[in-house]
Amino acid sequence: MPTLESTQPSETLGGEGLPDFSSAAYKDAYSRINAIVIEGEQEAHDNYLAIGSLLPDQAEELTRLARMELKHMKGFTACAANLGVTADMPFARDFFSPLRTNFQAALAEGKVVTCLLIQSLLIEAFAIAAYHIYIPVADPFARKITEGVVKDEYTHLNYGQEWLKANLEASRAELEEANRANLPHVRRMLESVAGDAAVLHMEKEDLIEDFLIAYQEALTEIGFNSREIARMAAAALVG
Amino acid sequence: MFGLIGHSTSFEAARQLAERLGYPEYAAGDLDMWCSAPPQLVERFDVESATGKRIEGAYIDSVFVPEMLRRFKTAKRKVLNAMELAQKSGIDCSALGGFTSIIFEDMNLLREQQVRATTLEWQRFTTGNTHTAWVICQQVESNAPLLGIDLSQAKVAVVGATGDIGSAVCHWLNQRTDVGELLLVARKPQPLADLQQALGGGRILSLEEAIPEADVVVWVASLPESLTIDTGGLRKPCLMIDGGYPKNLDSKAAAEGVHVLKGGIVEFHTAIDWQVVALAADMARPERQMFACFAEAMLLDFEDRHTNFSWGRNNIQLEAMEWIGAASLRHGFRALGLAAAATAAPALAGLASP
Repeated sequence: MPTLESTQPSETLGGEGLPDFSSAAYKDAYSRINAIVIEGEQEAHDNYLAIGSLLPDQAEELTRLARMELKHMKGFTACAANLGVTADMPFARDFFSPLRTNFQAALAEGKVVTCLLIQSLLIEAFAIAAYHIYIPVADPFARKITEGVVKDEYTHLNYGQEWLKANLEASRAELEEANRANLPHVRRMLESVAGDAAVLHMEKEDLIEDFLIAYQEALTEIGFNSREIARMAAAALVG
Repeated sequence: MFGLIGHSTSFEAARQLAERLGYPEYAAGDLDMWCSAPPQLVERFDVESATGKRIEGAYIDSVFVPEMLRRFKTAKRKVLNAMELAQKSGIDCSALGGFTSIIFEDMNLLREQQVRATTLEWQRFTTGNTHTAWVICQQVESNAPLLGIDLSQAKVAVVGATGDIGSAVCHWLNQRTDVGELLLVARKPQPLADLQQALGGGRILSLEEAIPEADVVVWVASLPESLTIDTGGLRKPCLMIDGGYPKNLDSKAAAEGVHVLKGGIVEFHTAIDWQVVALAADMARPERQMFACFAEAMLLDFEDRHTNFSWGRNNIQLEAMEWIGAASLRHGFRALGLAAAATAAPALAGLASP
Protein backbone atom coordinates (compact mmCIF):
# COMPACT_ATOMS: atom_id res chain seq x y z
CA MET A 1 0.00 0.00 0.00
CA PRO A 2 1.11 3.54 -0.59
CA THR A 3 3.07 5.35 1.99
CA LEU A 4 1.07 7.85 3.93
CA GLU A 5 2.69 11.21 4.03
CA SER A 6 -0.25 13.17 5.30
CA THR A 7 -1.25 11.16 8.34
CA GLN A 8 1.05 10.86 11.27
CA PRO A 9 0.16 9.53 14.69
CA SER A 10 -0.41 12.29 17.17
CA GLU A 11 1.28 10.39 19.97
CA THR A 12 5.01 10.16 20.02
CA LEU A 13 6.91 6.95 19.55
CA GLY A 14 8.26 5.02 22.53
CA GLY A 15 9.12 7.08 25.57
CA GLU A 16 7.05 4.88 27.83
CA GLY A 17 9.56 4.45 30.59
CA LEU A 18 8.93 2.45 33.74
CA PRO A 19 6.76 3.62 36.62
CA ASP A 20 8.36 4.86 39.85
CA PHE A 21 8.13 1.66 41.90
CA SER A 22 8.90 3.49 45.12
CA SER A 23 6.18 6.13 44.86
CA ALA A 24 3.24 6.07 47.25
CA ALA A 25 0.77 6.05 44.36
CA TYR A 26 2.46 3.01 42.82
CA LYS A 27 2.52 1.11 46.09
CA ASP A 28 -1.10 1.94 46.77
CA ALA A 29 -2.23 0.63 43.37
CA TYR A 30 0.12 -2.34 43.68
CA SER A 31 -1.45 -3.36 46.98
CA ARG A 32 -4.70 -4.11 45.15
CA ILE A 33 -3.30 -5.51 41.88
CA ASN A 34 -0.88 -7.76 43.73
CA ALA A 35 -3.68 -8.94 46.02
CA ILE A 36 -5.77 -9.86 42.99
CA VAL A 37 -2.91 -11.93 41.65
CA ILE A 38 -2.34 -13.68 44.99
CA GLU A 39 -6.06 -14.33 45.48
CA GLY A 40 -6.34 -15.50 41.86
CA GLU A 41 -3.59 -18.07 42.35
CA GLN A 42 -5.11 -19.23 45.65
CA GLU A 43 -8.55 -19.64 44.05
CA ALA A 44 -7.01 -21.41 41.08
CA HIS A 45 -5.42 -23.87 43.51
CA ASP A 46 -8.74 -24.48 45.24
CA ASN A 47 -10.65 -24.69 41.97
CA TYR A 48 -8.36 -27.31 40.41
CA LEU A 49 -8.69 -29.49 43.49
CA ALA A 50 -12.48 -29.03 43.33
CA ILE A 51 -12.56 -29.97 39.63
CA GLY A 52 -10.59 -33.07 40.61
CA SER A 53 -13.54 -34.12 42.74
CA LEU A 54 -15.73 -34.03 39.62
CA LEU A 55 -13.15 -35.82 37.46
CA PRO A 56 -11.64 -38.47 39.76
CA ASP A 57 -9.60 -40.06 36.96
CA GLN A 58 -7.92 -36.66 36.39
CA ALA A 59 -7.40 -35.87 40.06
CA GLU A 60 -3.67 -36.56 40.02
CA GLU A 61 -3.01 -34.17 37.12
CA LEU A 62 -5.30 -31.55 38.64
CA THR A 63 -3.50 -31.80 41.98
CA ARG A 64 -0.25 -31.17 40.13
CA LEU A 65 -1.72 -28.04 38.50
CA ALA A 66 -3.05 -26.90 41.88
CA ARG A 67 0.41 -27.21 43.42
CA MET A 68 1.86 -25.00 40.70
CA GLU A 69 -0.68 -22.32 41.52
CA LEU A 70 0.40 -22.31 45.16
CA LYS A 71 4.00 -21.90 44.05
CA HIS A 72 2.96 -18.90 41.94
CA MET A 73 1.11 -17.43 44.89
CA LYS A 74 4.25 -17.57 46.99
CA GLY A 75 6.23 -15.90 44.22
CA PHE A 76 3.80 -13.00 43.98
CA THR A 77 3.70 -12.66 47.76
CA ALA A 78 7.45 -12.20 47.60
CA CYS A 79 7.00 -9.48 44.94
CA ALA A 80 4.88 -7.43 47.37
CA ALA A 81 7.39 -7.94 50.17
CA ASN A 82 10.18 -6.83 47.86
CA LEU A 83 8.43 -3.51 47.28
CA GLY A 84 7.41 -3.18 50.93
CA VAL A 85 3.70 -3.43 50.06
CA THR A 86 0.94 -5.17 52.00
CA ALA A 87 -1.56 -6.84 49.69
CA ASP A 88 -5.17 -5.73 50.17
CA MET A 89 -6.66 -9.21 50.40
CA PRO A 90 -10.25 -8.21 51.35
CA PHE A 91 -10.38 -6.14 48.16
CA ALA A 92 -9.18 -9.11 46.11
CA ARG A 93 -11.65 -11.56 47.62
CA ASP A 94 -14.45 -9.16 46.81
CA PHE A 95 -13.03 -8.70 43.31
CA PHE A 96 -13.31 -12.43 42.54
CA SER A 97 -16.65 -12.97 44.22
CA PRO A 98 -18.85 -13.03 41.05
CA LEU A 99 -16.73 -15.72 39.39
CA ARG A 100 -16.27 -17.55 42.69
CA THR A 101 -20.03 -17.61 43.28
CA ASN A 102 -20.67 -18.94 39.78
CA PHE A 103 -17.92 -21.53 40.12
CA GLN A 104 -19.25 -22.78 43.45
CA ALA A 105 -22.79 -23.00 42.08
CA ALA A 106 -21.58 -25.01 39.07
CA LEU A 107 -19.50 -27.24 41.34
CA ALA A 108 -22.51 -27.95 43.56
CA GLU A 109 -24.47 -29.00 40.46
CA GLY A 110 -21.60 -31.12 39.15
CA LYS A 111 -21.27 -28.93 36.03
CA VAL A 112 -17.70 -29.70 35.14
CA VAL A 113 -17.86 -27.86 31.80
CA THR A 114 -18.80 -24.60 33.49
CA CYS A 115 -16.15 -25.10 36.15
CA LEU A 116 -13.50 -25.66 33.48
CA LEU A 117 -14.64 -22.64 31.49
CA ILE A 118 -14.46 -20.36 34.52
CA GLN A 119 -11.14 -21.58 35.88
CA SER A 120 -9.18 -23.07 33.05
CA LEU A 121 -10.24 -20.77 30.25
CA LEU A 122 -11.42 -17.45 31.69
CA ILE A 123 -9.21 -17.07 34.75
CA GLU A 124 -6.15 -18.51 33.01
CA ALA A 125 -6.64 -16.32 29.92
CA PHE A 126 -7.14 -13.36 32.24
CA ALA A 127 -3.91 -14.21 34.06
CA ILE A 128 -1.95 -14.73 30.85
CA ALA A 129 -3.12 -11.39 29.48
CA ALA A 130 -2.36 -9.54 32.70
CA TYR A 131 1.09 -11.11 33.07
CA HIS A 132 2.01 -10.40 29.44
CA ILE A 133 1.04 -6.75 29.82
CA TYR A 134 2.71 -6.52 33.22
CA ILE A 135 6.09 -8.03 32.35
CA PRO A 136 7.43 -5.07 30.30
CA VAL A 137 6.52 -2.59 33.06
CA ALA A 138 7.32 -4.71 36.13
CA ASP A 139 10.15 -4.09 38.59
CA PRO A 140 13.12 -6.39 37.88
CA PHE A 141 12.33 -8.77 40.75
CA ALA A 142 8.66 -9.20 39.79
CA ARG A 143 9.48 -9.42 36.12
CA LYS A 144 11.62 -12.50 36.59
CA ILE A 145 8.99 -14.22 38.71
CA THR A 146 6.15 -13.33 36.34
CA GLU A 147 8.06 -14.59 33.31
CA GLY A 148 8.33 -17.98 34.96
CA VAL A 149 4.66 -18.02 35.94
CA VAL A 150 3.26 -17.14 32.53
CA LYS A 151 4.81 -20.25 30.97
CA ASP A 152 2.99 -22.42 33.53
CA GLU A 153 -0.33 -20.68 32.96
CA TYR A 154 -0.29 -21.67 29.29
CA THR A 155 -0.14 -25.33 30.36
CA HIS A 156 -3.16 -24.75 32.60
CA LEU A 157 -5.13 -23.10 29.80
CA ASN A 158 -4.10 -26.04 27.67
CA TYR A 159 -5.49 -28.51 30.21
CA GLY A 160 -9.03 -27.15 30.04
CA GLN A 161 -8.75 -26.68 26.33
CA GLU A 162 -7.83 -30.32 25.70
CA TRP A 163 -10.56 -31.70 27.95
CA LEU A 164 -13.23 -29.51 26.35
CA LYS A 165 -11.95 -30.34 22.87
CA ALA A 166 -12.31 -34.05 23.57
CA ASN A 167 -15.82 -33.49 24.89
CA LEU A 168 -16.96 -30.63 22.65
CA GLU A 169 -20.22 -31.95 21.30
CA ALA A 170 -21.48 -32.88 24.74
CA SER A 171 -20.20 -29.57 26.19
CA ARG A 172 -21.15 -27.08 23.49
CA ALA A 173 -24.47 -25.83 24.85
CA GLU A 174 -23.17 -25.54 28.40
CA LEU A 175 -20.02 -23.76 27.22
CA GLU A 176 -22.03 -21.17 25.34
CA GLU A 177 -24.30 -20.61 28.30
CA ALA A 178 -21.39 -20.37 30.74
CA ASN A 179 -19.69 -17.96 28.35
CA ARG A 180 -22.73 -15.70 28.36
CA ALA A 181 -23.03 -15.85 32.13
CA ASN A 182 -19.38 -15.26 33.00
CA LEU A 183 -17.64 -13.27 30.29
CA PRO A 184 -19.34 -9.98 31.24
CA HIS A 185 -17.95 -10.48 34.76
CA VAL A 186 -14.44 -10.59 33.35
CA ARG A 187 -14.97 -7.29 31.59
CA ARG A 188 -16.39 -5.67 34.71
CA MET A 189 -13.48 -7.01 36.75
CA LEU A 190 -11.04 -5.49 34.28
CA GLU A 191 -12.87 -2.20 34.34
CA SER A 192 -12.90 -2.10 38.12
CA VAL A 193 -9.10 -2.25 38.27
CA ALA A 194 -8.41 -0.13 35.20
CA GLY A 195 -7.38 2.87 37.30
CA ASP A 196 -4.92 0.89 39.44
CA ALA A 197 -3.60 -0.94 36.40
CA ALA A 198 -2.95 2.39 34.67
CA VAL A 199 -0.76 3.47 37.60
CA LEU A 200 1.29 0.34 36.88
CA HIS A 201 1.39 1.43 33.18
CA MET A 202 -0.99 -1.35 32.16
CA GLU A 203 -3.85 -0.16 29.96
CA LYS A 204 -7.37 -1.51 30.06
CA GLU A 205 -7.66 -1.66 26.29
CA ASP A 206 -4.54 -3.83 26.06
CA LEU A 207 -5.74 -6.07 28.87
CA ILE A 208 -9.12 -6.73 27.30
CA GLU A 209 -7.69 -7.40 23.85
CA ASP A 210 -4.95 -9.67 25.18
CA PHE A 211 -7.46 -11.55 27.31
CA LEU A 212 -9.71 -12.07 24.30
CA ILE A 213 -6.81 -13.21 22.13
CA ALA A 214 -5.86 -15.91 24.65
CA TYR A 215 -9.51 -16.87 25.13
CA GLN A 216 -10.24 -16.96 21.41
CA GLU A 217 -7.19 -19.12 20.78
CA ALA A 218 -8.47 -21.59 23.34
CA LEU A 219 -11.93 -21.60 21.73
CA THR A 220 -10.33 -22.18 18.32
CA GLU A 221 -8.39 -25.15 19.67
CA ILE A 222 -11.52 -26.53 21.30
CA GLY A 223 -13.19 -26.54 17.90
CA PHE A 224 -15.45 -23.50 17.63
CA ASN A 225 -15.49 -21.81 14.22
CA SER A 226 -14.48 -18.21 13.74
CA ARG A 227 -18.05 -16.99 13.57
CA GLU A 228 -19.02 -18.65 16.84
CA ILE A 229 -15.87 -17.33 18.47
CA ALA A 230 -16.47 -13.73 17.42
CA ARG A 231 -19.95 -13.88 18.85
CA MET A 232 -18.84 -15.51 22.09
CA ALA A 233 -16.06 -12.95 22.53
CA ALA A 234 -18.54 -10.12 22.07
CA ALA A 235 -19.94 -10.96 25.51
CA ALA A 236 -16.71 -9.56 26.97
CA LEU A 237 -16.94 -6.35 25.00
CA VAL A 238 -20.55 -5.36 25.62
CA GLY A 239 -23.21 -6.20 28.13
CA MET B 1 -1.55 -20.76 2.21
CA PHE B 2 -1.70 -17.01 1.67
CA GLY B 3 -3.28 -14.38 3.87
CA LEU B 4 -4.79 -10.95 3.45
CA ILE B 5 -4.65 -8.66 6.44
CA GLY B 6 -7.14 -5.88 5.98
CA HIS B 7 -9.55 -3.53 7.64
CA SER B 8 -12.68 -1.55 6.90
CA THR B 9 -12.40 1.83 5.25
CA SER B 10 -14.03 3.65 8.17
CA PHE B 11 -15.58 2.96 11.54
CA GLU B 12 -19.03 3.45 10.05
CA ALA B 13 -18.25 1.00 7.24
CA ALA B 14 -16.95 -1.50 9.81
CA ARG B 15 -20.15 -1.28 11.83
CA GLN B 16 -22.27 -1.71 8.73
CA LEU B 17 -20.22 -4.73 7.72
CA ALA B 18 -20.65 -6.23 11.19
CA GLU B 19 -24.41 -5.71 10.89
CA ARG B 20 -24.55 -7.38 7.47
CA LEU B 21 -22.46 -10.31 8.62
CA GLY B 22 -24.67 -10.90 11.63
CA TYR B 23 -22.57 -9.52 14.50
CA PRO B 24 -25.01 -7.10 16.13
CA GLU B 25 -22.84 -6.61 19.25
CA TYR B 26 -19.98 -5.29 17.13
CA ALA B 27 -22.33 -3.21 14.98
CA ALA B 28 -23.64 -1.49 18.09
CA GLY B 29 -20.25 -1.11 19.79
CA ASP B 30 -18.49 2.21 20.14
CA LEU B 31 -14.93 2.96 19.05
CA ASP B 32 -13.54 2.10 22.49
CA MET B 33 -15.05 -1.36 22.19
CA TRP B 34 -13.51 -1.82 18.75
CA CYS B 35 -10.17 -0.71 20.14
CA SER B 36 -10.32 -3.65 22.55
CA ALA B 37 -11.57 -6.21 20.03
CA PRO B 38 -9.00 -8.74 18.85
CA PRO B 39 -8.32 -9.55 15.18
CA GLN B 40 -10.51 -12.15 13.51
CA LEU B 41 -9.78 -14.69 10.82
CA VAL B 42 -13.11 -14.20 9.15
CA GLU B 43 -12.94 -16.20 5.95
CA ARG B 44 -11.11 -18.91 4.02
CA PHE B 45 -11.33 -19.38 0.26
CA ASP B 46 -9.71 -21.17 -2.70
CA VAL B 47 -8.19 -19.35 -5.63
CA GLU B 48 -7.34 -20.88 -9.01
CA SER B 49 -4.60 -19.42 -11.18
CA ALA B 50 -4.97 -19.10 -14.94
CA THR B 51 -2.38 -21.90 -15.00
CA GLY B 52 -4.80 -24.18 -13.13
CA LYS B 53 -2.90 -24.16 -9.86
CA ARG B 54 -5.12 -23.91 -6.78
CA ILE B 55 -4.16 -22.36 -3.46
CA GLU B 56 -6.00 -21.62 -0.23
CA GLY B 57 -6.21 -18.21 1.37
CA ALA B 58 -7.62 -16.52 4.43
CA TYR B 59 -8.79 -13.01 5.22
CA ILE B 60 -7.87 -11.56 8.58
CA ASP B 61 -9.70 -8.46 9.70
CA SER B 62 -7.33 -6.55 11.95
CA VAL B 63 -10.36 -4.77 13.48
CA PHE B 64 -8.41 -1.58 12.88
CA VAL B 65 -10.30 1.38 11.43
CA PRO B 66 -8.71 4.62 10.20
CA GLU B 67 -10.27 6.49 13.12
CA MET B 68 -7.71 4.69 15.32
CA LEU B 69 -4.74 6.23 13.47
CA ARG B 70 -4.30 8.88 16.11
CA ARG B 71 -4.29 6.32 18.89
CA PHE B 72 -0.74 5.29 18.31
CA LYS B 73 -0.62 2.35 20.71
CA THR B 74 -3.94 0.97 19.55
CA ALA B 75 -2.98 1.13 15.89
CA LYS B 76 0.32 -0.57 16.59
CA ARG B 77 -1.31 -3.30 18.63
CA LYS B 78 -3.93 -3.97 15.96
CA VAL B 79 -1.29 -4.58 13.31
CA LEU B 80 0.95 -6.76 15.49
CA ASN B 81 -1.95 -8.83 16.78
CA ALA B 82 -3.27 -9.41 13.26
CA MET B 83 0.21 -10.50 12.15
CA GLU B 84 0.48 -12.86 15.10
CA LEU B 85 -2.89 -14.37 14.26
CA ALA B 86 -1.81 -14.87 10.64
CA GLN B 87 1.39 -16.61 11.71
CA LYS B 88 -0.34 -18.78 14.30
CA SER B 89 -2.93 -19.74 11.70
CA GLY B 90 -0.12 -21.25 9.63
CA ILE B 91 -0.30 -18.72 6.81
CA ASP B 92 2.91 -18.73 4.76
CA CYS B 93 2.60 -15.35 3.17
CA SER B 94 0.34 -12.50 4.26
CA ALA B 95 -0.06 -9.11 2.62
CA LEU B 96 -0.35 -6.09 4.87
CA GLY B 97 -3.30 -4.30 3.32
CA GLY B 98 -4.63 -0.77 3.65
CA PHE B 99 -3.12 1.19 6.49
CA THR B 100 -1.51 -1.85 8.11
CA SER B 101 1.73 -1.68 6.10
CA ILE B 102 1.82 2.09 6.58
CA ILE B 103 1.49 1.68 10.34
CA PHE B 104 4.12 -1.06 10.30
CA GLU B 105 6.55 1.20 8.48
CA ASP B 106 5.80 4.55 10.11
CA MET B 107 5.74 3.17 13.65
CA ASN B 108 8.84 1.09 13.06
CA LEU B 109 7.29 -2.19 14.12
CA LEU B 110 10.42 -4.06 13.07
CA ARG B 111 11.46 -3.39 16.66
CA GLU B 112 8.41 -5.28 17.94
CA GLN B 113 9.15 -8.78 16.72
CA GLN B 114 8.06 -10.41 19.98
CA VAL B 115 4.28 -10.51 20.42
CA ARG B 116 3.47 -12.30 23.67
CA ALA B 117 4.82 -15.85 23.23
CA THR B 118 5.20 -15.47 19.45
CA THR B 119 8.30 -14.29 17.62
CA LEU B 120 7.03 -12.86 14.36
CA GLU B 121 8.73 -14.38 11.32
CA TRP B 122 9.10 -11.52 8.90
CA GLN B 123 9.47 -13.81 5.91
CA ARG B 124 5.77 -14.62 6.30
CA PHE B 125 4.73 -11.06 5.43
CA THR B 126 4.89 -8.67 2.51
CA THR B 127 3.75 -5.09 2.06
CA GLY B 128 2.76 -5.98 -1.49
CA ASN B 129 4.25 -2.69 -2.65
CA THR B 130 6.34 -4.18 -5.47
CA HIS B 131 3.25 -5.45 -7.24
CA THR B 132 1.36 -2.25 -6.50
CA ALA B 133 4.15 -0.17 -8.03
CA TRP B 134 4.28 -2.40 -11.12
CA VAL B 135 0.50 -2.23 -11.55
CA ILE B 136 0.47 1.57 -11.28
CA CYS B 137 3.19 1.81 -13.92
CA GLN B 138 1.16 -0.50 -16.20
CA GLN B 139 -1.86 1.71 -15.63
CA VAL B 140 0.10 4.76 -16.74
CA GLU B 141 1.58 3.06 -19.78
CA SER B 142 -1.68 1.43 -20.94
CA ASN B 143 -4.21 4.15 -20.27
CA ALA B 144 -2.44 7.38 -21.24
CA PRO B 145 -2.43 6.42 -24.96
CA LEU B 146 -6.16 5.61 -24.76
CA LEU B 147 -6.75 9.27 -23.94
CA GLY B 148 -4.48 10.46 -26.74
CA ILE B 149 -1.63 11.27 -24.36
CA ASP B 150 1.72 10.52 -25.97
CA LEU B 151 3.90 9.47 -23.03
CA SER B 152 7.10 10.43 -24.82
CA GLN B 153 5.86 14.01 -24.87
CA ALA B 154 4.00 13.90 -21.58
CA LYS B 155 4.78 15.30 -18.17
CA VAL B 156 4.02 12.77 -15.46
CA ALA B 157 3.71 14.09 -11.91
CA VAL B 158 4.27 11.64 -9.07
CA VAL B 159 2.72 12.94 -5.84
CA GLY B 160 4.40 11.14 -2.95
CA ALA B 161 7.46 10.52 -5.10
CA THR B 162 9.83 9.68 -2.26
CA GLY B 163 7.67 6.98 -0.65
CA ASP B 164 8.17 3.27 -1.13
CA ILE B 165 5.79 2.96 -4.07
CA GLY B 166 6.38 6.48 -5.38
CA SER B 167 10.12 6.07 -5.73
CA ALA B 168 9.71 2.68 -7.42
CA VAL B 169 7.23 4.21 -9.89
CA CYS B 170 9.67 7.06 -10.61
CA HIS B 171 12.58 4.70 -11.25
CA TRP B 172 10.47 2.46 -13.49
CA LEU B 173 9.05 5.31 -15.55
CA ASN B 174 12.53 6.81 -15.80
CA GLN B 175 14.32 3.65 -16.89
CA ARG B 176 11.71 1.44 -18.55
CA THR B 177 9.61 3.97 -20.44
CA ASP B 178 10.26 7.07 -22.53
CA VAL B 179 8.14 9.43 -20.43
CA GLY B 180 8.76 13.03 -21.47
CA GLU B 181 9.40 14.48 -18.04
CA LEU B 182 8.90 13.43 -14.44
CA LEU B 183 7.56 16.02 -11.99
CA LEU B 184 8.51 15.06 -8.45
CA VAL B 185 6.23 16.09 -5.58
CA ALA B 186 6.68 15.22 -1.91
CA ARG B 187 6.69 17.00 1.41
CA LYS B 188 10.29 16.61 2.48
CA PRO B 189 12.97 18.46 0.47
CA GLN B 190 15.99 16.28 1.24
CA PRO B 191 14.56 12.92 0.16
CA LEU B 192 13.29 14.68 -2.98
CA ALA B 193 16.75 15.98 -3.77
CA ASP B 194 18.19 12.51 -3.17
CA LEU B 195 15.60 10.95 -5.46
CA GLN B 196 16.27 13.49 -8.19
CA GLN B 197 19.96 12.70 -7.98
CA ALA B 198 19.35 8.94 -8.07
CA LEU B 199 17.10 9.35 -11.10
CA GLY B 200 19.54 11.66 -12.83
CA GLY B 201 16.64 13.94 -13.65
CA GLY B 202 13.09 14.93 -12.94
CA ARG B 203 11.89 18.34 -11.80
CA ILE B 204 11.04 19.06 -8.18
CA LEU B 205 7.82 21.07 -7.86
CA SER B 206 5.22 21.90 -5.28
CA LEU B 207 1.84 20.23 -5.69
CA GLU B 208 0.28 23.50 -6.83
CA GLU B 209 2.98 23.99 -9.46
CA ALA B 210 3.00 20.42 -10.72
CA ILE B 211 -0.69 19.73 -11.19
CA PRO B 212 -1.46 22.29 -13.92
CA GLU B 213 1.56 21.13 -15.93
CA ALA B 214 0.92 17.40 -15.76
CA ASP B 215 -0.67 15.22 -18.43
CA VAL B 216 -0.61 12.30 -16.02
CA VAL B 217 -0.71 12.52 -12.23
CA VAL B 218 0.17 9.49 -10.13
CA TRP B 219 -1.07 9.97 -6.55
CA VAL B 220 0.65 7.68 -4.09
CA ALA B 221 0.23 9.87 -1.04
CA SER B 222 -3.07 9.95 0.74
CA LEU B 223 -4.94 13.16 0.21
CA PRO B 224 -5.89 15.21 3.22
CA GLU B 225 -9.63 15.77 3.48
CA SER B 226 -8.99 19.48 3.19
CA LEU B 227 -7.18 19.25 -0.15
CA THR B 228 -8.99 20.75 -3.09
CA ILE B 229 -7.96 20.51 -6.71
CA ASP B 230 -8.65 23.37 -9.10
CA THR B 231 -9.94 21.25 -11.96
CA GLY B 232 -10.24 24.31 -14.19
CA GLY B 233 -6.46 24.63 -14.22
CA LEU B 234 -5.79 21.03 -15.23
CA ARG B 235 -4.57 19.98 -18.65
CA LYS B 236 -7.22 18.27 -20.75
CA PRO B 237 -7.07 15.39 -21.16
CA CYS B 238 -5.51 14.50 -17.86
CA LEU B 239 -5.07 10.99 -16.53
CA MET B 240 -5.09 10.71 -12.74
CA ILE B 241 -4.06 7.43 -11.16
CA ASP B 242 -5.44 7.33 -7.62
CA GLY B 243 -2.90 5.06 -5.97
CA GLY B 244 -3.26 6.52 -2.48
CA TYR B 245 -5.16 5.10 0.41
CA PRO B 246 -7.99 5.67 0.97
CA LYS B 247 -9.06 6.38 -2.60
CA ASN B 248 -10.88 9.69 -2.56
CA LEU B 249 -9.59 11.45 -5.65
CA ASP B 250 -12.67 10.97 -7.81
CA SER B 251 -14.66 13.37 -5.69
CA LYS B 252 -11.90 15.98 -5.75
CA ALA B 253 -11.00 15.91 -9.43
CA ALA B 254 -14.29 15.26 -11.23
CA ALA B 255 -14.35 17.35 -14.41
CA GLU B 256 -14.74 17.00 -18.16
CA GLY B 257 -11.52 15.66 -19.65
CA VAL B 258 -10.13 14.53 -16.29
CA HIS B 259 -9.99 10.76 -16.08
CA VAL B 260 -9.54 9.29 -12.64
CA LEU B 261 -8.51 5.64 -12.43
CA LYS B 262 -8.26 3.68 -9.22
CA GLY B 263 -4.58 2.91 -8.94
CA GLY B 264 -2.96 -0.29 -7.75
CA ILE B 265 -6.09 -2.35 -8.40
CA VAL B 266 -6.07 -5.58 -10.36
CA GLU B 267 -8.76 -7.78 -11.79
CA PHE B 268 -8.52 -11.57 -11.63
CA HIS B 269 -9.35 -13.83 -14.60
CA THR B 270 -12.17 -15.51 -12.73
CA ALA B 271 -14.55 -14.83 -9.86
CA ILE B 272 -13.36 -15.70 -6.35
CA ASP B 273 -15.83 -17.15 -3.90
CA TRP B 274 -15.14 -14.76 -1.05
CA GLN B 275 -18.01 -13.19 0.79
CA VAL B 276 -16.50 -10.98 3.47
CA VAL B 277 -13.69 -9.63 1.31
CA ALA B 278 -16.28 -8.76 -1.33
CA LEU B 279 -18.36 -6.88 1.23
CA ALA B 280 -15.37 -5.17 2.86
CA ALA B 281 -13.71 -4.09 -0.37
CA ASP B 282 -14.82 -0.92 -2.07
CA MET B 283 -14.59 -2.37 -5.59
CA ALA B 284 -16.80 -2.16 -8.67
CA ARG B 285 -16.47 -5.92 -9.24
CA PRO B 286 -15.56 -7.23 -5.80
CA GLU B 287 -15.62 -10.89 -6.86
CA ARG B 288 -12.66 -10.26 -9.17
CA GLN B 289 -11.05 -6.96 -8.24
CA MET B 290 -8.63 -6.44 -5.38
CA PHE B 291 -5.71 -4.35 -4.23
CA ALA B 292 -2.48 -5.31 -5.98
CA CYS B 293 -0.82 -5.77 -2.59
CA PHE B 294 -3.29 -8.55 -1.76
CA ALA B 295 -2.65 -10.09 -5.16
CA GLU B 296 1.07 -10.09 -4.36
CA ALA B 297 0.50 -12.51 -1.47
CA MET B 298 -1.43 -14.78 -3.86
CA LEU B 299 1.31 -14.54 -6.47
CA LEU B 300 4.01 -15.43 -3.98
CA ASP B 301 1.97 -18.47 -2.92
CA PHE B 302 1.26 -19.49 -6.53
CA GLU B 303 4.99 -19.29 -7.18
CA ASP B 304 5.91 -21.03 -3.88
CA ARG B 305 8.09 -18.04 -3.11
CA HIS B 306 7.46 -17.76 0.60
CA THR B 307 9.51 -14.72 1.44
CA ASN B 308 8.96 -11.14 2.53
CA PHE B 309 9.19 -10.07 -1.09
CA SER B 310 8.33 -6.40 -0.44
CA TRP B 311 9.84 -5.22 2.81
CA GLY B 312 11.27 -2.05 4.28
CA ARG B 313 11.23 1.35 2.67
CA ASN B 314 12.61 2.20 -0.76
CA ASN B 315 13.97 -1.29 -1.37
CA ILE B 316 11.94 -2.06 -4.48
CA GLN B 317 14.16 -3.19 -7.34
CA LEU B 318 13.08 -2.92 -10.96
CA GLU B 319 13.99 -6.59 -11.51
CA ALA B 320 11.61 -7.54 -8.70
CA MET B 321 8.88 -5.44 -10.35
CA GLU B 322 9.50 -7.27 -13.61
CA TRP B 323 9.34 -10.66 -11.91
CA ILE B 324 6.13 -9.97 -10.02
CA GLY B 325 4.64 -8.36 -13.15
CA ALA B 326 5.33 -11.46 -15.22
CA ALA B 327 3.85 -13.65 -12.47
CA SER B 328 0.82 -11.37 -12.32
CA LEU B 329 0.09 -11.83 -16.01
CA ARG B 330 0.83 -15.57 -15.92
CA HIS B 331 -1.63 -16.24 -13.11
CA GLY B 332 -4.43 -14.19 -14.61
CA PHE B 333 -4.31 -10.69 -13.17
CA ARG B 334 -4.80 -7.52 -15.22
CA ALA B 335 -4.30 -3.97 -14.03
CA LEU B 336 -7.57 -2.09 -13.84
CA GLY B 337 -7.97 0.11 -16.90
CA LEU B 338 -10.18 2.99 -17.93
CA ALA B 339 -12.24 0.83 -20.28
CA ALA B 340 -12.94 -1.75 -17.59
CA ALA B 341 -13.77 0.94 -15.10
CA ALA B 342 -16.14 2.65 -17.54
CA THR B 343 -17.86 -0.65 -18.31
CA ALA B 344 -18.29 -1.40 -14.64
CA ALA B 345 -19.63 2.03 -13.77
CA PRO B 346 -20.95 3.62 -16.96
CA ALA B 347 -22.85 6.30 -15.09
CA LEU B 348 -19.60 7.74 -13.86
CA ALA B 349 -18.27 8.23 -17.38
CA GLY B 350 -14.78 6.95 -16.80
CA LEU B 351 -14.49 7.48 -13.10
CA ALA B 352 -13.42 4.29 -11.44
CA SER B 353 -15.20 4.43 -8.16
CA PRO B 354 -18.33 2.33 -7.76
